[in-house]
Amino acid sequence: MATAPREFIENLRHLPQTVKDAWFRLGKAPESEREESQATFHNLFLHIHSVRVHVRTLKPTLTLGLGIMATSAFLITVITGALLMVYYKPSTDLAYQSIKDIHFTVSTGRFMRNIHRWAAQLMVLAVLLHMARVFFTSSYKKPREFNWVVGLGLLVMTLALSFTGYLLPWDQLAYWAITIGSNIANSPRELTDAIGVTTWMDPGGFQKRLLLGANFVGQDALIRFYVLHVFVLPAALVVLLSVHFWRIRKDGGMARPEDPMGGLAEWGGELKPVFEPVATKTYGLMALVRGKRATVNRGPENTVMSWPHLFWAELAVFMVTVAVTLILSYYSDAPLKELANPAIPENPAKAPWYFLGLQELVSYSAFMGGLLIPVIVLFGLALIPFLDRRPGGEGRWFGTPGERPVAVKSLFFSLAVTVGMLALTVNYGWLRNWFPGIHQLWIILINPGSLLVLIFAAWSLYVLQRQDSVRHAAVGLFICFLVSFTILTYFATVHRGPNWKFFWWPSQWPVH
Amino acid sequence: MTDPSRKYRWLLLITSLLTILYLVTAAVRENYLAEWRVVQRDYRQILRQKATDDRGRELSGKFREELKQVSVPALNVVDRCVGCHNGIDDPRMKDQPQPHRSHPGDILVKHPVDRFGCTVCHHGQGLATTYSDAKAEDVFWDYPLLPAELTEATCAACHTADKLPADQIPLLRAGAQLYRDKSCGSCHKLGGKGGTLGPALDNEGAKTKHQLIMAALRPPHTTWNWHEAHFRDPSGVVADSQMRNPTVTRKEALALTAFMLAQWKRDIPESYLAPDKIEQKYQAIHPTPLSGELVYREYCQGCHGNGTYGRWDKIFKRFIPAIRGRGFVAAASREYLEANIRQGRPGTQMPAWDRRAGGLLPDEIAAVITYLKTGAPASEKLATMSVRGDVTRGHILFLKSCAGCHGAGGRGGVAPEIGNPVFRQTATDEFIIRTIRHGRTGTAMPAFQRPEASVLGDQEIADLLAFVRSLAPAPSAAVSQNNNPPLPSGAQR
Repeated sequence: MATAPREFIENLRHLPQTVKDAWFRLGKAPESEREESQATFHNLFLHIHSVRVHVRTLKPTLTLGLGIMATSAFLITVITGALLMVYYKPSTDLAYQSIKDIHFTVSTGRFMRNIHRWAAQLMVLAVLLHMARVFFTSSYKKPREFNWVVGLGLLVMTLALSFTGYLLPWDQLAYWAITIGSNIANSPRELTDAIGVTTWMDPGGFQKRLLLGANFVGQDALIRFYVLHVFVLPAALVVLLSVHFWRIRKDGGMARPEDPMGGLAEWGGELKPVFEPVATKTYGLMALVRGKRATVNRGPENTVMSWPHLFWAELAVFMVTVAVTLILSYYSDAPLKELANPAIPENPAKAPWYFLGLQELVSYSAFMGGLLIPVIVLFGLALIPFLDRRPGGEGRWFGTPGERPVAVKSLFFSLAVTVGMLALTVNYGWLRNWFPGIHQLWIILINPGSLLVLIFAAWSLYVLQRQDSVRHAAVGLFICFLVSFTILTYFATVHRGPNWKFFWWPSQWPVH
Repeated sequence: MTDPSRKYRWLLLITSLLTILYLVTAAVRENYLAEWRVVQRDYRQILRQKATDDRGRELSGKFREELKQVSVPALNVVDRCVGCHNGIDDPRMKDQPQPHRSHPGDILVKHPVDRFGCTVCHHGQGLATTYSDAKAEDVFWDYPLLPAELTEATCAACHTADKLPADQIPLLRAGAQLYRDKSCGSCHKLGGKGGTLGPALDNEGAKTKHQLIMAALRPPHTTWNWHEAHFRDPSGVVADSQMRNPTVTRKEALALTAFMLAQWKRDIPESYLAPDKIEQKYQAIHPTPLSGELVYREYCQGCHGNGTYGRWDKIFKRFIPAIRGRGFVAAASREYLEANIRQGRPGTQMPAWDRRAGGLLPDEIAAVITYLKTGAPASEKLATMSVRGDVTRGHILFLKSCAGCHGAGGRGGVAPEIGNPVFRQTATDEFIIRTIRHGRTGTAMPAFQRPEASVLGDQEIADLLAFVRSLAPAPSAAVSQNNNPPLPSGAQR
């Protein structure tokens, strides 16, 4: 018998083992640190992590797991989204009924849709909180400026994904929320109308038509939103997300304070100085240190192996996200109102919750609230790491000296200003009520939204002057942004009723 | 030495267990415990019990537990009701509780489920697979399940009510009759005919609860509850409603509600329509004129009552004149009446009834004028007025004797507006003189020249006439003629 057939049979006999070896190249659970490193960098999905990770990175209070949570939520929406795509039909005639079919007849379809919806909401929330976390731990500072800007891109992408998904069910909620949203895109027209140049130059109308593919929300808008939602935006987000992760690695992992010269002996346990240089002594190349590893001119790295510690942590956060999403989805159904009907406007027609703060500003002035203020806010956020360049506080919550009192003061200040401004507007109206004949330009210029921005900017300059710290000025401004965003969102959600009038509770709305 | 990932492993364990728990529970809830499955398992048991002959055993053996639906593309219907109402066309299930019971009556004989579906008649969310979603009273669905007694309203989608047996559609019949008796057409348009004070009702049944003001209504906020409450007390449901209380009993309100729900221009293929419905559609385009009395009862009576007395209307804040009073119809010319009916009286609640406005045919307007004039005595020839009037004196007299009711300059007050263009152009001298002399029977307008006590002399009446005429030019020949241009083609509705 020739050797080849025998070899063939032999290979066939060993097939289970060789296939297993090909898949699990290590062949067993890694035991030594070397094998653990191999487990990390021989795997496409794990190799983006460094092999060792600083113990601080693993402290839950540093990151609160928000980045991983946002990513996990994104993963969940991708998986459930693919499942939903199997049944969803992006046509104005069929979309609504296909959602009804998913809800009523597709096996566990309702549950999958709920998961998709809740994961999307969780993702928006996690991204926003993640941004706040990065800011408050000074983690945007050199060399992480670029990654902060990438993160802002991801925030915009996340909002766009959520917003485009809003239209797809083609129900009343979707239809009127997108109508409002597209009118926000149309808002530059308020300015061009006021100065009378809309006929020649109409950027607002252009934006709206670009978004909708028509002058109204119809089939063209639906297919545009669909393509954006299931392909363009997820693809762009994945690319940007890869850059975001890769930058974390390139920028040296999570931001953290410099380890003290003495360092920590080993992770955990009692903190012990490993090396106390004596001032009077000159040291050579080597010095004796306590502990297992020797390093030169610096403390030990205080790192642990990524495999398994970091991966346990990441997996745990992922499963937390999954569990939270599942529990929410089990008890609360994703909304689906009546079939979209252009003849019956929802009153009030409200945008998705994360745009409600903007909608409140738009109710004062479309141009200010819909364009200028968001642009100012995004630019302001993007500029933070380039204006605040003094190192310090990295990886610590409110890490620079004197930051906490500034934060608390800013909290109360912005709370008072925002609530006061809303109370004033609700009780006494605004310029149009006081001077009915006034030119619209005045209202575009001076309205509660623009005043809030001015007051917050002034507050920030005051802090800058008084505290002599760009970081503190930035903290003041950022807190003002967060507080007003939260309050405006809450206010527009709860206290705005039909015709955007003020009500204490939705139960008092005259029409249901 | 503590393990830095120990707490994460615990967290992972707990969340993983939670995840598995909820995945399994959801899988069971969504599949095995799905409402329709539970019902179908129940039904299978009933089928087995009822299987006494070979055919029954065959039926019970063939029964599959599966999602069932009736799809009727022509009606744009996908109804999953049969997923739970499995015995709907099985006469053996008459004695079973819902949802297994068979459909009452012999309606399914003429309306087989597979051709009509369920929601065409019953409304409700046919796509749903649970009872509460199908009933759709508290979920987001435009047309929730109609209560059994009101289901007859949907018969009108394919039938005309007067061709169906009265015992099958008692409410619809009574409602249509009430609509005429209460002269709802005086303010509301239906089928292109009717007043314009209230909203047109042609598509009232298509309204969803979001188009009605529910604030003052006790739940459940359904359209039929709204209608019923509204018929019993219009301004109690719609705060600033101008609608007069039709004063109906609860039963009558229900009948009117059914009639309202039946007003729905649904797009239903011709093959589904009863021949009389097609005839009705033809009639709508080629109407036969109504008699004068019917026109009066359906379109005038709502405001003018029987027409022999004037009255103060609290809601309109205005006197509604008696238009069948002897003095008035004797004095008013046909041209004057026709112009007022066709063009309405600007400044008052009297709308235009022209074909393009209130939708009355020229023949119908002529007929109703004849009807108004029935019983009026042949008008005696008016003694010619030999005196010439003076505008200035007339103005002073007007301010003294007339402006109290008619307003300074004839702007109108509690009494009609004399300055309005239709009046100015169409009222003849004779009509004005006669009205001042003899007053208007049954209204607050007194006679100013009574045999027993003459308030105004001929000269003064002539002065007044001159003043009234000074408000406007004399009747132009153009207006008193039939001067309405023919309708542009296609403008007919």
